Amino acid sequence: MSVGGGGLLKYMGKRAVDRIAVVLSSLTLQFLLLRVLPYYVLGIDPSFFFLNPNLTEAQRELIRKQFGLDESLASQFVKYVLSLFTGNMGFSFYTRRPVFSELMERLPNTVLLLGTATVLTIIIGLIVGIIAVSKRGTRFDASIIGSSIFVSAFPHFYVGLLLLLIFGFYLRWFPIAGTISRPPPRDPVIYVADLLRHMALPLITLLITGIGGFALFIRNLFLTQLGEDYVLTARAKGLNEREVMVRHVLRNVLAPVINILALEFPGIISGAVIVETVFSWYGVGRWLFQAATQFDYPVVQAVLFIQVALTVVSLYIADLIIALIDPRVRLR
Amino acid sequence: MASITATRIEAVKSFLSELKLHKTGLLGLGVLILYVFVAIFAPWISPVGPNETGLADSYAYPSWFSIFPGYENLPRNIILKLSYEDWHVLHQSNGLEYVEENDLSKINVKSGNVSTVKDLLLEYTFNYTFNPPKRFSGKIPFKVEINHALGSYVRIRCSIVTPKGRVYEVYDSLPIANNLTRLETPATYDARDISLKLKLGFSPHDYLGEKIFNLKGVYKLRLYISIFSVKGDGAVNVWLGVNEFRIYGMLYGILGTDNLGCDLFSNLIYGTRVSLMVGILASVISVSIGLVVGVISGYKGRIVDQILMFFTDTLLFTPILPLLIAISVFVGKNLYLEIALIALFSWMVFARNTRAYVMSIRDSMFVESARAIGAPDIYIIFRHILPQLTPIIYINLVMRVPGAILLEATLSFLNLGDPSVPSWGRMLYNARYAGAFFRFMWWWIIPPGLAITFLALAFVLLGNALDAILNPRLQVRR
Repeated sequence: MSVGGGGLLKYMGKRAVDRIAVVLSSLTLQFLLLRVLPYYVLGIDPSFFFLNPNLTEAQRELIRKQFGLDESLASQFVKYVLSLFTGNMGFSFYTRRPVFSELMERLPNTVLLLGTATVLTIIIGLIVGIIAVSKRGTRFDASIIGSSIFVSAFPHFYVGLLLLLIFGFYLRWFPIAGTISRPPPRDPVIYVADLLRHMALPLITLLITGIGGFALFIRNLFLTQLGEDYVLTARAKGLNEREVMVRHVLRNVLAPVINILALEFPGIISGAVIVETVFSWYGVGRWLFQAATQFDYPVVQAVLFIQVALTVVSLYIADLIIALIDPRVRLR
Repeated sequence: MASITATRIEAVKSFLSELKLHKTGLLGLGVLILYVFVAIFAPWISPVGPNETGLADSYAYPSWFSIFPGYENLPRNIILKLSYEDWHVLHQSNGLEYVEENDLSKINVKSGNVSTVKDLLLEYTFNYTFNPPKRFSGKIPFKVEINHALGSYVRIRCSIVTPKGRVYEVYDSLPIANNLTRLETPATYDARDISLKLKLGFSPHDYLGEKIFNLKGVYKLRLYISIFSVKGDGAVNVWLGVNEFRIYGMLYGILGTDNLGCDLFSNLIYGTRVSLMVGILASVISVSIGLVVGVISGYKGRIVDQILMFFTDTLLFTPILPLLIAISVFVGKNLYLEIALIALFSWMVFARNTRAYVMSIRDSMFVESARAIGAPDIYIIFRHILPQLTPIIYINLVMRVPGAILLEATLSFLNLGDPSVPSWGRMLYNARYAGAFFRFMWWWIIPPGLAITFLALAFVLLGNALDAILNPRLQVRR
């Protein structure tokens, strides 16, 4: 056990170094693409878009100085990385408010929408995928595969638009935009009901676009495992299909499932850009899109950083769990 | 050499005969061929160019709507082109000469001993039998030549007479006292002109077409030319070109028009080109990058592998869509840059797969024996490794396309695409933000999305069939 534990520590330590290096290089890439490329290669000055043209040169300089845009690129980069890691995300070019407080305004909405969508997608996708694989070769299985492939060919925003057209405009069952009615209802029960009514269409969009792929992933995962020799052995031993699934197959598919769950998790925070934009959801994803089109880089970089950092952290946790349950990984 | 070609033809033949066994793959191939056909022959299939505006009224219905009750009387496009012989002369003053000259109508007045006003009143009668239109417009090309002492002038007016006899003067040139050529850039009037609405006594919010053409019956278009010539030597000449009058229909083409009066069907047809081009080019570029990185990384191993894979992982960890959006804001307006961008952010998975595959080949006996007899790396890569990779290259070339198509559509839908190129994503952007939803114009919203979906689906089906044929290793035991 002690040997195994030492192996685990060493493995996780090495992993941590790798992951942190990737975060740093991803940040560098983002900085290069968002700050160096437009300004130094294409000659687009982000401050041009938010500075009032009537200001004098001195006033402009002052504002640029406030945002730290007058410093050299290298020092901007160092400051940017350091401040991100200390939790200071700077100020939005447009609203002049701290990025963090603006983020906090939108975060609950995004967590609500994406959290519900992710959890439901995983549960329904798992169930559908497992049913499909246990009934492999039947009509049910074929229809799951067919509809998953069909849905995967739909652009996500188009699914949203169609739902919007049918349920928002023709049938008028759901509101066509927004997160809550204006003014918000006072009664908490009605408030929640109103929020859910606004959430319905984006949620359905996320589920339609999410479940098919996930179910197909689960199905194929199980299917490749069922083709392995150990399954043949287990069956030859006389275990019934259920025992084969639970005792042997499930253990082996756990690692990739945990990995994919870890990749889903950061989306709960960073939101769904397309769906939130289509339905005018007051969330992080739409904010990110608006900020990107307005050259509001503090916001863009902060949200991207959160996403990268969360991805790395959740994958790291996934690595840890996998290493704990599967000794082969850490001994490799 | 001939034998190599022959074996290649044999390989293609056997591949096609295997493809025949995959019904869905054949379907995908068929749909794809249809799209390619449409893309190539787009100028012949679509009746007009995709960017031509004002073909009919904004938000026109598709013309086949006229078979449904309630839509049969929607205003049609009426375009009148009136030249010399079309006009009926209602009044012509003595001493005013009205003849045809080089396809133009020429009006000539020679001045005499006294200053006089001479008139010419032309009329064209037409029957209007549809519901009131929203918009009409007209063009009056003319040329005025005054060879005269100061003081002579020409005045051109145009009016519409309703069946009830009300006269609406829609155009008045006001006195023209010097030479003026407006044959190339004719004088125009338009029902959307607010000053015209006010001049005729309507509110700026009224649709002039609805007010004037509110009856079914015989309408008259009148052109009134009055020439005042001062006494003395000289002449006044006026030439009239082909006078155009049009009523903008609410029925147009196969899919109606958008908010600018562009033909939606043409946009749909031309959109095929962009999607196919983006999909295929981005796929080729991203597979090429992935192949180079994967092969080098897998074959070289060690430090080269670590550096390349570190870079690959960096890109894999970076959220692609937000970053693409942020970059597209300043470079996306160029289609080719956009393609390059899409490709640059989508090669990583293929590179990783290629690397793993190359690593497994690298250690195989035939590569080791080739190395043992002193074959250079380049030779081994091209002679032994790449041929092994051919199936997965083909499969990936096809399988990468749908992603690129969907990504391009998404970026265009966010209005980050090239605005001069008609694309399905941009059609949907226009539909969303120009009011197609509020008008329930499902014929605008549904076709572009389905076009994207079926194109992506065709590639997916074809890719799956390729996968099944070329990649027998994946045939799963059940």
